[in-house]
Amino acid sequence: MATDLTLILPEVFMACFAMLGLILAVYTSKDGMASQLVWATSAVFLVMAIWIGTTGEGTNVAFDGMFVDDAFSRFCKVAILLSAAAILLMSEGYMADRGILRFEYPMLIVLAVVGMMMMVSAGDLMSLYMGLELQSLALYVVASLRRDSVKSTEAGLKYFVLGALSSGLLLYGASLVYGYSGTTLFSGIIQTAKSGDMSLGLLFGLVFLAAGFAFKVSAVPFHMWTPDVYEGSPTPITAFFATAPKLAAMALFARVMHDAFGSAVRDWQQIIAFLSVLSMFLGAVAAIGQTNIKRLMAFSSIAHMGYALMGLAAGTVLGVQAMLVYMAIYVTMNVGTFAFILMMQRDGQPVTDIASLNLYARREPGRALAMLVLLFSLAGVPPMLGFFGKLYVLRAAYDAGLIWLAVAGVIASVIGAFYYLRIVFFMYFGDETDEVMTGSKSPILSGFLMASATIMVVGIVNMFGIEGAAAFAATALVN
Amino acid sequence: MDEMLREYAPILMFLAVAIGLGLVLILAAVVLAVRNPDPEKVSAYECGFNAFDDARMKFDVRFYLVSILFIIFDLEIAFLFPWAVAFKDISMVGFWSMMVFLAVLTIGFAYEWKKGALEWQ
Amino acid sequence: METIILFSPLVGALLCGFGWRVFGERAAMWIATALLFLAAILSWIVFLTFDGTTEQIQILRWIESGSLSTDWSIRLDRLTAIMLIVVTTVSALVHLYSFGYMDHDPQWREGEVYKPRFFAYLSFFTFAMLMLVTSDNLAQMFFGWEGVGVASYLLIGFYYRKPSANAAAIKAFVVNRVGDFGFALGIFALFFLTDSIRFDDVFAEAPRLAETQLTFLWTEWNAANLVAFLLFIGAMGKSAQLLLHTWLPDAMEGPTPVSALIHAATMVTAGVFLVCRMSPVLEFAPEAMAFVTVLGALTAFFAASVGLVQTDIKRVIAYSTCSQLGYMFVAAGVGMYSAAMFHLFTHAFFKAMLFLGAGSVIHAMHHEQDMMNYGGLRKRIPYTFWAMMIGTLAITGVGVPVWILTLGEIPIGFAGFHSKDAIVESAYAAGSGIGFWALVIAALFTSFYSWRLMFLTFYGEPRGNKHTHEHAHESPVVMLIPLGVLALGAVFAGMIWYKSFFGHVDQVAKFYGIPYAEATEHAEDHDDKTQAEPAADGPADAHHVDAAEGGQGDEKGHGAHHYAFVGEPGQGSLYVAPGNTLLDDAHKVPYWVKTSPFAAMLIGLLFAYWFYIVNPSLPGKLAENQRPLYLFLKNKWYFDELYNVIFVQPALWIGRQLWRKGDGNVIDGSINGVAMGIVPFFTRLAGRVQSGYIFTYAFAMVIGIAVLITWMTMSGGAN
Repeated sequence: MATDLTLILPEVFMACFAMLGLILAVYTSKDGMASQLVWATSAVFLVMAIWIGTTGEGTNVAFDGMFVDDAFSRFCKVAILLSAAAILLMSEGYMADRGILRFEYPMLIVLAVVGMMMMVSAGDLMSLYMGLELQSLALYVVASLRRDSVKSTEAGLKYFVLGALSSGLLLYGASLVYGYSGTTLFSGIIQTAKSGDMSLGLLFGLVFLAAGFAFKVSAVPFHMWTPDVYEGSPTPITAFFATAPKLAAMALFARVMHDAFGSAVRDWQQIIAFLSVLSMFLGAVAAIGQTNIKRLMAFSSIAHMGYALMGLAAGTVLGVQAMLVYMAIYVTMNVGTFAFILMMQRDGQPVTDIASLNLYARREPGRALAMLVLLFSLAGVPPMLGFFGKLYVLRAAYDAGLIWLAVAGVIASVIGAFYYLRIVFFMYFGDETDEVMTGSKSPILSGFLMASATIMVVGIVNMFGIEGAAAFAATALVN
Repeated sequence: MDEMLREYAPILMFLAVAIGLGLVLILAAVVLAVRNPDPEKVSAYECGFNAFDDARMKFDVRFYLVSILFIIFDLEIAFLFPWAVAFKDISMVGFWSMMVFLAVLTIGFAYEWKKGALEWQ
Repeated sequence: METIILFSPLVGALLCGFGWRVFGERAAMWIATALLFLAAILSWIVFLTFDGTTEQIQILRWIESGSLSTDWSIRLDRLTAIMLIVVTTVSALVHLYSFGYMDHDPQWREGEVYKPRFFAYLSFFTFAMLMLVTSDNLAQMFFGWEGVGVASYLLIGFYYRKPSANAAAIKAFVVNRVGDFGFALGIFALFFLTDSIRFDDVFAEAPRLAETQLTFLWTEWNAANLVAFLLFIGAMGKSAQLLLHTWLPDAMEGPTPVSALIHAATMVTAGVFLVCRMSPVLEFAPEAMAFVTVLGALTAFFAASVGLVQTDIKRVIAYSTCSQLGYMFVAAGVGMYSAAMFHLFTHAFFKAMLFLGAGSVIHAMHHEQDMMNYGGLRKRIPYTFWAMMIGTLAITGVGVPVWILTLGEIPIGFAGFHSKDAIVESAYAAGSGIGFWALVIAALFTSFYSWRLMFLTFYGEPRGNKHTHEHAHESPVVMLIPLGVLALGAVFAGMIWYKSFFGHVDQVAKFYGIPYAEATEHAEDHDDKTQAEPAADGPADAHHVDAAEGGQGDEKGHGAHHYAFVGEPGQGSLYVAPGNTLLDDAHKVPYWVKTSPFAAMLIGLLFAYWFYIVNPSLPGKLAENQRPLYLFLKNKWYFDELYNVIFVQPALWIGRQLWRKGDGNVIDGSINGVAMGIVPFFTRLAGRVQSGYIFTYAFAMVIGIAVLITWMTMSGGAN
């Protein structure tokens, strides 16, 4: 018991932190200390990331296999914590300006992060579901944090209703799997699920589970909530949605597929390849019609999930490694891009219209350049890090024999490049309009924007060692 | 076939008894009860609303709040019953687990109380 | 020290090009110039203290790819040392000269800053050129080779407001591409054959190449010949040899200091340098050598003939350069690399001076370049006149014939006298009739057009715009100093280094660091050589050291001893095959051969005097009488027109076809069809599906799961 608790100590600590913070704030100055809480939470995230990143060795299981602590989960946890900390820091100023900086916000984020950490460490269908719901419930609430805004409320409600549906699918899948394998432990399921003689019931369970995860990573056709929720939520929340939860859900996807169904790769490979190719194409095609940058980023993230799924579809160590590297790069790019979007405002009001970027490069050449680097990276233009992420997953798919998928990925990325470059076009060669944004002078946002852009360029040297860590994590997961 | 039908026989009997009892009670009311009707009495009961009104009207979100809080504590009891029943057989870990669960619930309760969610001004 | 020489121009270019806003315009220019003077002084120190042994100075590891492993390092041997002083000296002087020449350039508007850019380009060129000459392997050389090409392009097109300058820049670049393609193929071939591009490895493999056969373009080639031929194509492009020469006269569109530095003294000699550098390979490629000789001779003759009738002062000198480069290739082609380097060396001085002098004239005449509008300028610009006079005396090869008077063993004369005579004698000694006669005739032409230039410019009556003549003024002192320094070189360079470049075998061998040994008899037969060969390595080196110590003392003894080069390929900076006794033979040619260039020079001078001083109406009449010949020469043998029809027009036609039909219709058409038709259709569809209603979204999810389930059921998973 004691050793079990030691393994989940970070999670326990953060849960306690959330409860303490909640009580402390509600009994003292309430929203008055929201700002301090945000900073404290970021600090806690950072400390936890360092703690988890530097300690912990090998693969350990707790609670009879329900909780797994291995290199894979540690990699994901560090990435989740760091990105969550970054988003929190970025959101503080924005939300304070809009008067929606409540003390519950950081605490809900903490709870969501605890949920995500449970997800990536899940070794059992029940702990999986618990983590997933803890995360989702917190996210439903933060999506509608801006209670007086119709769009924000709508976003939260849509997310909640559709999320409930997806949870239903997932639970149905889980019960089927339990019914046909007789256990909820991944290590037990994998004994039953053997490629070639997998019972149809187990296969159905797998499909339903995959559908549930696909909703979380917003893969087509379970993606429909994404644009509306991204657009309706306050921008910092959108930024959060686009980063940590995606990574956590993707990691969970990989975890279940490899830990529970690792012996039946060929069964789920086609499902994931199907989701992947649809996501890449829909993300690329649908984003072209968008005029709102947040909706555009929603479709962009759908397309990016398609690429990450391509890595997963390979079903190999290299595939998981590629997926992790891709997600790490994706999260970094999105932090920078959303830092830029958070800075977009006109007369103190946030704007999200792409047309407001007209000739932005003349007014703010430095930031425009940073954004250009990020957009090129998102589009996968060669010198930037984003290109290497794509290269990785394409290679993984190619090595796994999914050549058609790799080719489709390349075509989709060509189509997708259009809408990224369109933004660049607006920034550098657009028309003179009155509706231009004035931009905020937040040093934190500028800092994140510049840092992210710099990483996209400098990172090509050695990717800051992410490759090695991802390879290590992938080997821990796939065996 | 017979075997299966025989298994359903208790259900059939149960049904017959239920219908009979229901009829007896209604008829008894017709025969014995004192009748003194007024509009409040004859209208259908609905918690807080007029019974016959537009179904799509707006109503206070606090109803949901109360019902959700009710469900939470209802569930808590649902967990506590089996725990209490099996208390003799479970270890200290089981005991403390429930204590932690209750503590977490209490924290939530304290928060909502302080937040003013229970006030109906 | 070599590293400082190499990098100070680069530092100068960067500081001047990017830093002038910080330092100010003038300071930036002075920084670049000062750094080049530093490089020049250090180069002279290196040259004078150099003992002939090849050194390699590694700078950084460069390429590691498969079996290709290349360092970035400096190869310092005599060839490099010679090129170092040529490049840095001329470059430094040209920098200084540009202070005067580029001031108040009419091409630029008031207040426009162009000088730091010019200086930065000049310095960058110098760096690239040094990169080329100090290279230790072919890739590094190619880097420098392309670097000078870029710098040349930038500088020819420096007056970018002039369409003709832009056209000339593009022409220079494109024509050079042809040569560079050959050069690159040569490098590939060498790598293919020897698995290395380092000079040391390549040279060591050279004898084996001569025995290897290679299929290229469906033909069996001797590997050494093929490699030498391909490399020479590269040299032809850079050094403007016949067929690839058309860019050089047009390159005169650049500012005159550029013409002096790049298109006279340094870059165009890179081809000669390449051929000399690759002498170990060339020595095993007799057919390629013959081709080099013939082409050099033809170029010398062709360019000199065209030079006879040109009236643009810079074009005359440009054709003269072309012709002199032909001389150098003849020398290299017959195997007298030393003479080629000698002429390269002296030519750099007097040709740079002629160009700078011409620049001074142009400057004085307010950028008038047509000699028909000059005349009688001797009095107005006396210093320039004397400088040009020295240059002309040098290029035409004025000196005292050896049978009249020598100074010790050194003939007396201007620099061109020594080097040109050396080449002519070598050509005769090698038995190359066409080489010899073409060069002698070219010498006659050279003398004629050089003196014609002098007479038209400085003598006679002023012609053309009167106003311009009245305002003709002597150039500022920053432009005269370089002329003075170069004049020293033009006068004395030949006499001072005659022994080193064209003395006896032991002197030359010592200069270049080639091992040599006492030869038994002149006509060694084959058996002797095979005996001498094994012993060559040890004793030869020992002897080399001995000779280096005591060599200076026995000046008189040289006649008595016979020495022969015995180096292996790659030992020393040049390689002379054991059977190649040309150096000795060249000294033993008949006196009429030795005197022939001198006679040609005299005849040329007399004709020029008669045509342009005694009877100035004669040239016009001659042009009338011999109209076809005149037009043929005037239009440069119609090379440009021919190329236009054969290459340029078809290329433009193909380009237009591919652009309009291939790219415009086929590629753009199909891409546009997809990009503007199909993709937007799907975009609209996706937009419609995204209705905003939860039930639509839920429906999509249900459809999705239904499809997946159906698919799985039908396919039965992996089964």
